[in-house]
Amino acid sequence: MTGATDDVCVVLEGRITARTAAPIWQSAIEILARNPDRPVLIDASRLQYLDNVGMALLFDLTRQERAPGATVRIQALAPNLAALLGRYEPHDFAAPPSRPRRLGTLEDIGRAAARHLLYLKELAGFLGGCLRALREARSHPGAVNWGDVLDVATETGANAVPIVLLMGFLMGVIIAFEVGLVARQFGAVIFVVNGVGVAMLRELGALMTAIVLAGRTGAAFAAQIGTQKVNEELNAICTFGLDPIEFLVLPRILAAILVVPLLTILADIVGLFGGALVMTSFNISLLQFFTRLLGAVTATDLMLGIIKAAVFGVTIAAVGCHSGLGTGAGATSVGLSATSAVVTSIVLIVVIDGLFAVLTS
Amino acid sequence: MAETQLQSGKSGPAPTGQRPAISVRNLRMGYGTRVLLDDASFEVHRGEVVVILGGSGSGKSSLMKNIIGLHAPMAGDVLVDGESLVKANATDKARLQRSLGVMYQSGALFGSMNVLENVRFPLDQFTDLTLAEKNLTARMLLHTVEMLPAESLMPGELSGGMLKRAGIARAMALGCDILLLDEPSAGLDPITAANLDRTILSLRKNLGVTCVVVTHELQSIFAIADRAIMLDPISRAIIANDRPETLRDFSPDMRVRQFFNRRPDELRAERHG
Repeated sequence: MTGATDDVCVVLEGRITARTAAPIWQSAIEILARNPDRPVLIDASRLQYLDNVGMALLFDLTRQERAPGATVRIQALAPNLAALLGRYEPHDFAAPPSRPRRLGTLEDIGRAAARHLLYLKELAGFLGGCLRALREARSHPGAVNWGDVLDVATETGANAVPIVLLMGFLMGVIIAFEVGLVARQFGAVIFVVNGVGVAMLRELGALMTAIVLAGRTGAAFAAQIGTQKVNEELNAICTFGLDPIEFLVLPRILAAILVVPLLTILADIVGLFGGALVMTSFNISLLQFFTRLLGAVTATDLMLGIIKAAVFGVTIAAVGCHSGLGTGAGATSVGLSATSAVVTSIVLIVVIDGLFAVLTS
Repeated sequence: MAETQLQSGKSGPAPTGQRPAISVRNLRMGYGTRVLLDDASFEVHRGEVVVILGGSGSGKSSLMKNIIGLHAPMAGDVLVDGESLVKANATDKARLQRSLGVMYQSGALFGSMNVLENVRFPLDQFTDLTLAEKNLTARMLLHTVEMLPAESLMPGELSGGMLKRAGIARAMALGCDILLLDEPSAGLDPITAANLDRTILSLRKNLGVTCVVVTHELQSIFAIADRAIMLDPISRAIIANDRPETLRDFSPDMRVRQFFNRRPDELRAERHG
């Protein structure tokens, strides 16, 4: 030991590794803190092994701020480790790990508003692009990749039939039951048929189908296209001189226009059937139900539902694809895109439904 | 003089220096019924830098996945520090895998964390260090791979080379003394690649780290490799296992000599001729 008598000597022993370093590190720092004015000698002669955590420990001890003269010296460290330790300069690590700056509330609101306005502007531009592509497709149907359209339609439509049937049926059952209970008090059970008919055909068939598809298909579109963007497939498409809207978005929009109305008709049928089944328990036979139904609803009601469904379909596909195309980098942003696709399309579906209600009243 | 002894409590089994860090015995691997490599045996000794090379599709990366236990071999065994990774139960396998630091081809950083958090992740999971201590360790590793200025960036904001360097820092975080690197210098500029090679050599020299490197960058191979193991997709076997210089100059196998003697200047002559 070369230190003067008032030196503090810390002897490090054994193997200091990621798993064993924590208590040693703490005690060493405590010893340094207890002796702020005395030089400290760290004896490394009995060290068997040091990994990078051990190196960090030694470095941390040497870089502590101390009173003048109260130096921390490491003795008998293997020359290769000493050389490695010499490569680290305390000032390189002086700044604390940078954290994102915390924004003020007002700034938060302003930024969020600006972001949403920008998003709406972008979405409008994108929808414009989609409409242009649709017009193109109408004048040159041969240019559309109908194989892709059919593939997407199968995945979006045929594979969604069971869930749509289930939802439609349950909607019919629930409405008929709830309205039936109230109507029975007034002896107006037979009018429940009108209610179920109009509700299913004009509103719920299209709305429920659209919401199911927003969750199922909108998210899938966003995730697919988002992953393609992350993998630079979109860049490849662009450099081939292809338009991503025509190549990726148009087939999906066409498929959605095709399948959402069809699924809505299915939902309408099973919904009415579910309603009819419930009405039998209110002493209205199936035959009575359907005779009454034919008088209560018109072809316009059905058509309105179907047109709405087509508009919802375009909305779901366009919003899903738009979110996918806007994906940033990395797995997290694909998840964010899928979430944003579902949320935005459901909000838009409800808003558009409201517009339809006002315009057709 | 006041003297305090600070001893590591649970020292754990020290590497003996006798057992090979990794030994592969009669390994047969592949996908489904397609065999990529059959009856392959080799050892990687402590402190050695071994390069696995071979043409595209010869199964270099698959061999690495077999060594780290991500794929189960069709036959044969892989021993890490004398213990079988193939026959180990789930707990032992996880422990053995933790003793291997792995850098994947594209870095495989977690997209939801920034660079510093990625490197700190193994320390967060497996040590009792305080946040400041973990941060210092992680930042020193980032300094080693020259990534400290990028510590607060997200993986999506990094270039390919930066992803690889951050991946190496993360692989080293738990102080693993066996590192497996999958194509560390592929796609990097020559200067960054040379720095990476320097990092690998310095790890070997200063911390005694054992490295298994999958690569086909000739310059890198001659710079870092103590030994090169060459795979051949046609004979599905290891066709060379020796010092790269020896293989280049004296290998009896023409495929091996060709690989090591690729002469860019001849091609240049062809272009101009």
